[in-house]
Amino acid sequence: MQQLSDQKPGPAARSYPITIEHVTKTYRGGAAAVDDLSFIAEPGRVTGFLGPNGAGKSTTMKILLGLASPTSGQATIGGLAYGELPDPTGTVGASVEADAFHPGRSGRNHLRILADAADRPPERVDEVLELVDLGAAANRRAGAYSLGMKQRLGLAAALLCDPPVLVLDEPGNGLDPQGIRTLRNLLRSRAAQGSTVFVSSHLLAEVEQLADDVVVVNQGRLVAQGSLAELRQSASLVRAASPEALRATLEAAGGIVENGQPNTLVVRGLSLDEIGEHAFRTGIALHELSPHTDSLEDRFFAWTGGAAAGGTDSNT
Amino acid sequence: MNWLRIVRAELRKLTSTKMPLAFLTVFAVIGAATATAVAFGTDMDGSKTFISTAADQQSLIAFAANALVIAGLFGAIAVAREYGHGTVVLTFLTTPRRPRAVLAQIAAAFVAGSVLGLVGAGVSAGSVAAGLAATDYGFMVSAADLTRVLAASTLAGGAGAVLGAGVGALVRNTGGAVTGTIVLLVILPPLAVQMVSEAASWVPSTLANVVSGVDNATGLGAAIAAIGLWALIPAVIGLVAVTRRDVV
Repeated sequence: MQQLSDQKPGPAARSYPITIEHVTKTYRGGAAAVDDLSFIAEPGRVTGFLGPNGAGKSTTMKILLGLASPTSGQATIGGLAYGELPDPTGTVGASVEADAFHPGRSGRNHLRILADAADRPPERVDEVLELVDLGAAANRRAGAYSLGMKQRLGLAAALLCDPPVLVLDEPGNGLDPQGIRTLRNLLRSRAAQGSTVFVSSHLLAEVEQLADDVVVVNQGRLVAQGSLAELRQSASLVRAASPEALRATLEAAGGIVENGQPNTLVVRGLSLDEIGEHAFRTGIALHELSPHTDSLEDRFFAWTGGAAAGGTDSNT
Repeated sequence: MNWLRIVRAELRKLTSTKMPLAFLTVFAVIGAATATAVAFGTDMDGSKTFISTAADQQSLIAFAANALVIAGLFGAIAVAREYGHGTVVLTFLTTPRRPRAVLAQIAAAFVAGSVLGLVGAGVSAGSVAAGLAATDYGFMVSAADLTRVLAASTLAGGAGAVLGAGVGALVRNTGGAVTGTIVLLVILPPLAVQMVSEAASWVPSTLANVVSGVDNATGLGAAIAAIGLWALIPAVIGLVAVTRRDVV
């Protein structure tokens, strides 16, 4: 996977935002797997799709790709439902199940089948196999591939038609550090060239390095959305002589206050100026007031109420 | 998108695993057993009257009823394993209009089943001929009758595979699809005949034998049409089910 980042997406002259509008999916007799979910994944950016197991990520992706129908709402790519795209595989490259291949079929034949159906020449199969560093294993049974090789085969399938939109479910699973870095470079490169890159992952540290934007869902609902930089910096760190008194003041002013280090509060929902003014009015001396940047992991646990991240909610 | 490209992709699916080889192995085993039976088997009285006439030999060669079942299993496994292995996700991503995708699967199953039926009948004829070489009897089936047997098996193989593909699409589970196909083609027909004796003329094995020219329970045209119905009804039900439900 040495040259992946050199690949340029195909018909990127047109941009294809991914739009999820009030999508709800309710299974018979069960709770909503996806509940009035709305967000946009913009072209030219990598959007990370996060949530704990069972949050509705896979269901949302399947609705987006026309594999499942929403109970209400709609999911579009460039304004059209997946099934209405004139050239779906030439527009969207998707990998939603890492082991979606026949274990007795070779990697090359797996891709030849997709190339036949998508009307791509057989030479393209060998190109993408080389791209994902599977050229030497192309004629081996895919069932004998390692997890990382299976992921790369899925990625090769997604890249086969050189699409301007990538929808990938847990693409980093099983990749070694070199593979993860190469994948990251590829996705960032594709986004830099105008592609829409929508990636679910439970590897928060990886998403932190990869994504421009994140969409976080929990129990089927949107709990956070925006640029990763903004979301991580949407708090202020306050160190004060009387933190409990300050806490009461700031909470009364509408702030969300968490305890940090001793005598330190992490405040959300109020700007630095507002915090300073409230402290001044109540006569509380501040020893420090600064922007606070959380790790994505910290933010994730705050958004999801401490649920473990996961990406294998294939049943939701 | 050209539908024939999708059919080509489906045919590549069917031919890029060892499944066809497994079925050909089954034919080889059946052929070997047939040749052995013809060469060394006798009737209850120790004679070999079961191969003494052209009609007897044609009955032995007639493979259409077997082709119906064997190709039915082939079609069922071919389609159901798509769900088991998750490759159906890629199928519906490349062809989001599911009826087109399913029709391509069914068409490919028909082609593959027809080839299986033809090969099976060919192996059967060759086995009988080989077995006869060890007896005092020659190969007496006329070229026209042999052609009819081969054609009948080809048709039955195609129809069986379409039936199996429909069951596979409906059930989505290889074990369940195999069971369902066996129930439809092997278990249900005798039960139906037990309840309604007139049904005997319309069960798949009888119809296959009529088309092969070794039974005259119905007319040829009616038998071909009835075999078509046996295949198409499960296929249509499977297609409708696939179109309406989520891919999970």
